Amino acid sequence: MSNDILQIRNLRAGYGSRVVLENISMSLAPGDWYVLLGPNGCGKSTLLDCVASRLIASGGEIHIGGVSLAQNPYEAKRRLGYACAPEALPALLTARQCLEVHAGAKDLSAIDGDLFVLAEELKFTPYLELFVDTMSLGTRQKLAVLLALVGDPLLIVLDEAFNGLDPASALVLKRHLRARLDRCGGAVLLATHSLDIVEHYADRAAILIDGRLQREWQKDEIRRLRADNADFEAAVAQAMQS
Amino acid sequence: MIKIRLGSTPRLMTAHLIRFNRRTRPQLRGWAIRLAGACLVALVLYGERERLAQTADWLREHILAASGLASIATAISVARRRVRKRAEFAKSWLAALPLRTSMARWEALLIEMLPAGAVVAALAGIFFAVAVSAPASSSSALAVWACLSGGVAAGAIASYTIPNPKPVDLPPGSRYVPRRRIATASALRPSLKALGFWPLRLMFARAQPKLVARAILPVLVLMPIGTSAATAMCVIALYVVAGVLSLLIPAAISVSVSVRAWTAPLPVRISQVMQVVVIPTIAIIAGASAAEGLLLFAMGVSLRTALASGLCMAFIGSLAALAAVQLRPKRVRRPP
Repeated sequence: MSNDILQIRNLRAGYGSRVVLENISMSLAPGDWYVLLGPNGCGKSTLLDCVASRLIASGGEIHIGGVSLAQNPYEAKRRLGYACAPEALPALLTARQCLEVHAGAKDLSAIDGDLFVLAEELKFTPYLELFVDTMSLGTRQKLAVLLALVGDPLLIVLDEAFNGLDPASALVLKRHLRARLDRCGGAVLLATHSLDIVEHYADRAAILIDGRLQREWQKDEIRRLRADNADFEAAVAQAMQS
Repeated sequence: MIKIRLGSTPRLMTAHLIRFNRRTRPQLRGWAIRLAGACLVALVLYGERERLAQTADWLREHILAASGLASIATAISVARRRVRKRAEFAKSWLAALPLRTSMARWEALLIEMLPAGAVVAALAGIFFAVAVSAPASSSSALAVWACLSGGVAAGAIASYTIPNPKPVDLPPGSRYVPRRRIATASALRPSLKALGFWPLRLMFARAQPKLVARAILPVLVLMPIGTSAATAMCVIALYVVAGVLSLLIPAAISVSVSVRAWTAPLPVRISQVMQVVVIPTIAIIAGASAAEGLLLFAMGVSLRTALASGLCMAFIGSLAALAAVQLRPKRVRRPP
């Protein structure tokens, strides 16, 4: 039995008769930071929605930490942390209450101090007692990420989580995620358009075009690109054109 | 053709396109329901033709008061709609579009006057039906329609003399939400309890003070002269209880939809979430029903009737809340 954190086999998903994802297979090993790239509307968010069980796939299998999401969603979701879109956060709850709900749902007796350290570094602590309704986009984004990290999940799924964050907070978050992966394993699946994350932090990357994985960069390839100081932007553009 | 004409009026064009996108293929069932509804209305009108004739005659006798009331109501509603629509347009995605002044004026006029036009058309339909079902009073019906329509038109014109209210520019949804003031930060306790407060907060956020005050005004106006203060207070309290229920149940429904979307990726059982969201709502419904029973009893209704009324309200309210909250995961709908 493999010890992959995330395993997706022949995933097929869409909306009604419109197929968005076709035959997607991928796996994330412990310590992997996997970046999904691709043009708008290629299916990145749909793929993440399937992993977060926000969308029911029409075919294929998803295993999180060795547990099937379809057969045992409760156990699979215990291993998952998903940062929802900031506008999906409950407007009439305070940030503290949102954290309490996530911790309660994950059956935690307390929230780990590591999360509060990150909240402090992100300068989020003063907003804990505020209603989500009154927060700016960036602050809501920070809250969404903090919620994803509640309970120290094995798999962290982030959909364009760096949008709206100021450069200092984005750097803090990137470093935190990298350190977290290096320290305690786990995996991060991130959909983004910013290539600097691939260049400096990610272990693996892939381009999704028209619902299919067009090209994948493995660890050693990315390391080589970094070592050669190669232009990753050009490599991505070339992969998109081909 | 309609696109070319509407092209220069972005708001009307948008409304037309939204309507066009929502339009579905005409279905036999829909037409059958409409036909059945029309037949039912015709049947009721025919059955009540004598009373309708009497009503038309009564309205003709009091035409000045009726027209005046129609005029005042139209003036207020058109003025309010104008203020609201202008504020919406100023912040909408179409606000930055170039638009000729004359065209903008016509577009605004059409949008602001739309309800008044609809009222005139509806009155025409009603009084035409009255004239057909009771031919003896067709002249009364025609006269009443003409006067009421005149009143509506005069009110629409008079609305331009009503001054605009002071602008309120606060973040949407935040004005009436209570602000929590906590002196010392308490420890974070993992719990789903906060989900239970959500419908209540939404209810309070929707029950804006102005709205509540205006909703109570008709009750006060309609109170017969000679009503005692105690009875008046009881009636208002009953009205408030009804308001709480009519705000709380829709709030619970909206919250359940949001909770479903938010908690989908969390390892939480539907029954657990259901318990947390629905139980406080049902507790409040039960409390409101008990208050209703007590108020009825205080107003002189027999204990048995008051008790039955309270129980009935609690049962229907709880059933409605339970049936309406949609916490089961749903498949995502196909986009248009």
